[in-house]
Amino acid sequence: MAKTIIPIGPFHPLQEEPEYFSLTVEGETVVDVDVELGYNHRGIEKLSESKTYDQVPFVVERICGICSTSHPYAYVKAVEDISGCTIPERAEYIRTIIAEGERIHSHLLWLGLAGHFLGYNTVYMWVWKLREEILDVMEILSGNRNNYAMFKPGGVRRDIREEDIPFVIKKIDSIVKTLDMLKKAILDDPVLHARLKGIGILKREDAIDYSALGPTSRASGVAKDVRKDAPYGAYDKVEWKMIVTEKGDVFDKVVVRVLEVFESISIMKSCLLSLPKGPIDANLADIVPGEGIGVHEAPRGETFHYVRSDGSNRPTRHKVRAPTFMNLPTCKSTVIGAAIADAAIILASIDPCYCCTERLAVCRIDGKRMMNGGELIRLSVEKTEKLKKEMGRR
Amino acid sequence: MKLPKIRELIEAIKALFTGPYTSKFPGKPHVPHKNFRGQPKYDSSKCVGCLACEEICPAGAISHRDEVTLPVPRRIMIHYTDTCIFCGSCEAYCIANNEGIKLSQDWELSFFDRKKESYETIEKELVLCEICGKVIGCKDHLIWIAERIGELAFSNPTLYQTRLKRFGLVDENLISAARDKSRADRFKILCAPCRRAMTKESEPDSEMV
Repeated sequence: MAKTIIPIGPFHPLQEEPEYFSLTVEGETVVDVDVELGYNHRGIEKLSESKTYDQVPFVVERICGICSTSHPYAYVKAVEDISGCTIPERAEYIRTIIAEGERIHSHLLWLGLAGHFLGYNTVYMWVWKLREEILDVMEILSGNRNNYAMFKPGGVRRDIREEDIPFVIKKIDSIVKTLDMLKKAILDDPVLHARLKGIGILKREDAIDYSALGPTSRASGVAKDVRKDAPYGAYDKVEWKMIVTEKGDVFDKVVVRVLEVFESISIMKSCLLSLPKGPIDANLADIVPGEGIGVHEAPRGETFHYVRSDGSNRPTRHKVRAPTFMNLPTCKSTVIGAAIADAAIILASIDPCYCCTERLAVCRIDGKRMMNGGELIRLSVEKTEKLKKEMGRR
Repeated sequence: MKLPKIRELIEAIKALFTGPYTSKFPGKPHVPHKNFRGQPKYDSSKCVGCLACEEICPAGAISHRDEVTLPVPRRIMIHYTDTCIFCGSCEAYCIANNEGIKLSQDWELSFFDRKKESYETIEKELVLCEICGKVIGCKDHLIWIAERIGELAFSNPTLYQTRLKRFGLVDENLISAARDKSRADRFKILCAPCRRAMTKESEPDSEMV
């Protein structure tokens, strides 16, 4: 049968960020998929080298509008790794509260978009309505609905006021009830079962081979979570459980995210209730020369930051690796063999965040882009062909 | 057609009675929570013009312009509302008890003309060096330093004269009288390099001997 190449992009159909998928299809079945990155180079790493250690959190906060706490969290952990300081307990709790609030709103955002994408606009509207409540909570806690500006190396910038806590807890409790209804409505729906079960299966071995992260790996039965594996913040001080499902299809990824929202709510609530008293800032002295790494479990998986210091006011090297960078290649294992109609939701099921990932363009000295994987393979094939001809094998 | 499930139906009916969740924004003004971080605003009576906010601002939204040719030299502090990211660093690092610049509740910042309306300014009086005419600092900043270091300020004529002038304890007549009597250069308001040069190199006045 004749093959057809269907390009999706540069704009991904679900999330309006520059991305190029080229799907090779035979009839209705996808036989090959290629991802092209590098449409959007923002120079964040270089920019952060020109900022002081205290200013960098504001830069990395703007890598992504959704993960606006994950990147600063990983960054401040990297800087604290260099200086080896201990953070006041209250600051650790406040960081945890903000990080979990972000996870709730990020998962809800994805759930709404997935619903919208499948033609369930009611899910989209209801979930985003719930998300508004969380954004209001974040506004009360941090002063803004997004880009919380809470993190600084050594602590947090802003304290949570005691008089706000009862109102915030009341607001969180009000979400749980509606969310519970929504969870049951989504997980009981026969159409969604038929639509999402058994498609885009990421097998356990594949998840390990591709080093999938976050909910993508946990849906495939790989119990991997930085919050449990290397506890930081207040994650080892409050009760919560890691959500792991076995099948690895799109439905399981929905389940993992929905159930994680409930875990996040319980973490947030117990942190707010047991918020210890004390200072919120360790008042970090000069950053000594050295290098440090920081990892944080972002809503999409592990965010990794590397910072190198030469003892001056500014980092000499800052490297960011976002979770989508690891999760995106799993589409090779999930999309191939699926129907073309399922391709977009499968690609979206890893909750791709390109603005996190898209910071890198491989350049030659003369400024031309280097070849992508497909071209390299083509060259390699051509060379084999040439050799074959020379050796007279054809 | 399948009957909708009861719990969704209940939610739908509830939604029917509670009305739309969204607010009627342009018609009904939005009042943010009191914790909201809005546009930073200078308080010209509290700000001392030290430029700490300009130094710390991660977005480069604060700058200044020194107008030294005016009869009363002025420093104009400029806050660009279009560049500002509302992080609150300026307030956190403000030396005037975090009150010189404060985040407000103001969030409606749209404007038509970027050249004219995208910034807000305040003016602070500058003190210039009597010899070279370079900027020493804002008057309020020198007073702030003098008050902060207490009696140590009396080792520095620039500081204590700026402070005492405010109380009317030192006026121009007194200074000019002192100038005729002793080493006049000791009583000048000078920038740091000029004071160093004066102390190290200049000869004592002839009348003193």
